[in-house]
Amino acid sequence: MTAAGKALRILVLLALVAASTPAWAAKVYKIRVDGLACPFCAYGIEKKLMAVPGVKSLGISINKGIVTVTMRKGATLSRDTASRAVKNAGFTMRSFR
Amino acid sequence: MMKRKSAILVLAMAAPAFVMTLAAENAAWAHGPVFSPGPETIWKGGTEVTVAAPYSRQSGPGAGRDVLEPSIEIEYGLTENWQIGIEAPYKFVDTSGADGGGMGDVVLDTKYQLWKKDLPGAQYKAAAFARLKLPTASDTGTPRLGSGSTDLAGGIAAGYESRRWYWFTSAAYSLNNKGGSGLEKGDRQFLNAVGGVRPILSEYGEPDTVFMLELNWERSDRDKLNGLSLANTGGSELFISPVFWWTYRQIAVKGGVQLPVMQDLNGTQPDNDYRGKLELVYHF
Repeated sequence: MTAAGKALRILVLLALVAASTPAWAAKVYKIRVDGLACPFCAYGIEKKLMAVPGVKSLGISINKGIVTVTMRKGATLSRDTASRAVKNAGFTMRSFR
Repeated sequence: MMKRKSAILVLAMAAPAFVMTLAAENAAWAHGPVFSPGPETIWKGGTEVTVAAPYSRQSGPGAGRDVLEPSIEIEYGLTENWQIGIEAPYKFVDTSGADGGGMGDVVLDTKYQLWKKDLPGAQYKAAAFARLKLPTASDTGTPRLGSGSTDLAGGIAAGYESRRWYWFTSAAYSLNNKGGSGLEKGDRQFLNAVGGVRPILSEYGEPDTVFMLELNWERSDRDKLNGLSLANTGGSELFISPVFWWTYRQIAVKGGVQLPVMQDLNGTQPDNDYRGKLELVYHF
């Protein structure tokens, strides 16, 4: 392999590493919630999701029906945990990603 | 089509309540209407504290009467569908002959959400509720602060909440018993219909305001004293009630005025001039 070929391989490798999400980076989940009609009622979702271990912060868009959950570094949120928290708050989880 | 089916189902569930003919005039019900019960329940493990100040004025034939009954009410969510609560009022009564104040009747209440349909940005709900009024107010002084009886009320509420529009309907029956002094207040029936609108679609974390118009119909049977009906008691009334909610995160301020549009009262009784209510609600 020529020196130019090695340099190209190293560059490609570095680019791939830079583009991927490192394992230690904070994970962000988007939960689509049905039944979100008013801001006052949505406070229950904040209470329930913020009580889940590892949750750092969340944002609620009533108009879009989306709750964005940001986890602490290294923490993850399972679909079941999210669904249970949303249900206990009095709503229905439509999608989770 | 699904929306129409859901609406029909809610109406079908609420219909029996109209046939059965609550004494919810002082009840704070989460995010519901002001003068009538709604189908909302607080989330599992959630606590709602309400400080309310209902006021009413009566005048006309017989004695005029002003009543202010500030109360504190605590509701707790056993599950997301089932809540229990207690309400403790203090009552001030001012009549043309006498005035006085004291502990009001403590009320224990519960509500169970029978059905719910969540849609993007909207919810249909129906709930059943019950209230047990305890005879903690004095029924011997002048003016009398309570009936001295343990009374049970129950009913059904259904409703639709969306980002823009609201409607609620409810029906209730209050079964009143004889108090220690021989007075038995007449049973009461309630029917309510409510429509509302949110003019500005505010986001979470922003102040939010909703305006509503309630129609409240009430009917009372005649009171009885030692088994004998009292002529100048009972009758039916219809109120129109403009109300508002203002909320910010977990804080709500609700208020409104009940204005009588029809009063068909038995015998000679003072008319209701108006009733007003202001509530401060906090969620923990």
